[in-house]
Amino acid sequence: MGAYLSRILGRLWGEKEVRILILGLDGAGKTTILYRLQIGEVVTTIPTIGFNVETVTYRNIKFQVWDLGGQTSIRPYWRCYYANTDAVIYVVDSVDRDRLSTSREELHAMLEEDELRDSALLVFANKQDMVGAMSSAEVSDALGLGTLKNRQWSIFKTSAVKGDGLTEGLDWLVNIIQGSKQQQ
Amino acid sequence: MYTLLSGFHKYLTRKEEYYVIILGLDNAGKTTLLERIKSIFLGVLGLPQDRIAPTVGLNIGKIDIDRARINFWDLGGQRELHGIWEKYYGECHAIVFVVDSTDKDRIEECINIFEKIITNDEVEGVPVLMLANKQDLPNSLKVEEIKEIFNKIAIKLGARDSRVLPISALEGDGVRDAVDWLFVRIQRNKQNRPPIFK
Repeated sequence: MGAYLSRILGRLWGEKEVRILILGLDGAGKTTILYRLQIGEVVTTIPTIGFNVETVTYRNIKFQVWDLGGQTSIRPYWRCYYANTDAVIYVVDSVDRDRLSTSREELHAMLEEDELRDSALLVFANKQDMVGAMSSAEVSDALGLGTLKNRQWSIFKTSAVKGDGLTEGLDWLVNIIQGSKQQQ
Repeated sequence: MYTLLSGFHKYLTRKEEYYVIILGLDNAGKTTLLERIKSIFLGVLGLPQDRIAPTVGLNIGKIDIDRARINFWDLGGQRELHGIWEKYYGECHAIVFVVDSTDKDRIEECINIFEKIITNDEVEGVPVLMLANKQDLPNSLKVEEIKEIFNKIAIKLGARDSRVLPISALEGDGVRDAVDWLFVRIQRNKQNRPPIFK
């Protein structure tokens, strides 16, 4: 009852919370991105064991952003957070060529989950401030994004440290989310 | 008995799904076209023009005509993204190629890319619709002029259904006709590319 009421109220005030997961291998820059989005600053991070969750308001939309730890041993727990997810932000370290195939496997394993069937995919090819960073075409090829046929996806070159590319990516996400909400 | 009945019900109510891929150079108006198709056939407001940024990835639009569903794949047009296009060739039932009719300087580039698409083995026999977009602008090439320019490679289209139509994705002119043309052609091409049943 309470949940129902709050949903109605939320609709009246036009406040919808969008649930976003930030996923990716360890050291990709997920936590840095989360706090860059939230407070607009670069924070010193330590490897996330567990998760960070923050609310980010962007263009009148409230995002509930979950940043889940990316280490091998805790990746199996990602699935506990999949339900009701509107979009996944998948972060890739564009310099770490050796682990791109692992990143690809994790990505596709995740996308096969039924609970994420309707969520959009936004890929951040991160660490573009570093020398030797791969282009978005290279990253999308290595991740096999071309095999996704029933999911809207997009890739952006980002530098969480400099703050480049993040808002462009969020703009795309807002368009997609507003479009799908309209069709419901 | 239940299985038989439910199977029969499923057979009667199943939906034919088709996939149409929207290609063309960057800034040709592919995403604007997709948004326009969505607003015409779904009755929703499309994205306002100033919110459409260059596509780097895949946008999807789904519309229902009769008992069929047409899925539109709108792929990014920037040069470095052309490699992704081919990944979608094998499963598409038709190709829409959008041309910016005002961009005379890049028309040669258009021809080269169009030729590359239609000569790909994976899309042999697949209907191709070329859309001369931006007809609302005064300096745009007319359909006849576009046809003449592309005539030199027309022979490479082979035996497939093909057509050039004028549109203004921005104003919506000609968009419905374009989708109608596609719908007839993908059904006609069923033997060659059967729909996916869902």
